[in-house]
Amino acid sequence: MDVPSPRDEFIAGSREIAPTLLGTIPFGLVTGIASIGSGLTAVQAVALSVLSFSGIAQLITSQLLASASPLPVVVAAAFVVSLRLMMYSAALAPLLAHLDRGWRVLLSYLMTDQSFATTTRRYGEPGDARHRHWHMLGSCATLYVTWQAAVIVGVLAGAQVPTGWSLDFAVVLTFIALLVPAVKTRADLAAAIVAGAVALIAAGLPYRLALVVASIAGIAAGMAIELTHRHRR
Amino acid sequence: MTAWVAIVIVSAVTFLLRASFILFADPQRFPHRFRQALTFVAPAVLAAIVAPGLLIADGHFDTTLANPRWIAGAVAIVATILTRSAVAAIAAGMGALWMLQWALARIA
Repeated sequence: MDVPSPRDEFIAGSREIAPTLLGTIPFGLVTGIASIGSGLTAVQAVALSVLSFSGIAQLITSQLLASASPLPVVVAAAFVVSLRLMMYSAALAPLLAHLDRGWRVLLSYLMTDQSFATTTRRYGEPGDARHRHWHMLGSCATLYVTWQAAVIVGVLAGAQVPTGWSLDFAVVLTFIALLVPAVKTRADLAAAIVAGAVALIAAGLPYRLALVVASIAGIAAGMAIELTHRHRR
Repeated sequence: MTAWVAIVIVSAVTFLLRASFILFADPQRFPHRFRQALTFVAPAVLAAIVAPGLLIADGHFDTTLANPRWIAGAVAIVATILTRSAVAAIAAGMGALWMLQWALARIA
């Protein structure tokens, strides 16, 4: 059977992430504008973006620095909003375990919600998986370059994107486009519904803790369905 | 100065959380149940991001017509299921949102 080459995988990964850039670009612009608005210098805003490569962490860090929060609060908040990355890391670890250290450092640094979703989908397909880390790199690199460009434009522009366009909604739509293909079984559906419901109920919790609580509840619901289903068979 | 220290520490934190399992754990030794649970990370986390984005407006749970986002989101979900295309999802969702906002402005 034909094994897709690293180049084929890279291009396929890049293509697969491309539609989500419609959400990445406005989100990056808004993040760049907000970092400047909250008092970071242009160099600091870009450094934070290049080093952390996480929109939510960038927004919360600049927001808390602007309100003169003490350093431990800033770090704790960034930690909590980034906890989902640890769940992604656990889910990706078995798929990337065969790679050398350099690859795993690189892919860890570049991993995001979007590339996590495209990568787990790709690894879930049948066939020879030996070059699929190139698929992840294609997704990650494309998103990275686009994100940094959008943030830099936002930092330089500094002006407001008209709020009437509701471009922030494009980010939510991107996540819908990633969510739907991730729901393949009844247990997946249970995980999604419970996580969504708990996220709404817990929405009042500070520092986006609702996201963590809801994710754990959803994973538990998926497990519950999976285990009772198997019990019956 | 505080800003620079914060930038460096926050970046280290996001990297270490991403690298936690990929770099520092041996997946061979993950218990079976843990591996099973990991398959639900994507649907659970993504849904936990999407639901508030559609149903919470100005800090409140809102399923009325005054909040067009959940309707536009439903349109996007149907479009994704039918077409399996992310571009279709975003185009349908943004199109629906803009039409609903236009219609609401006319009524009000």
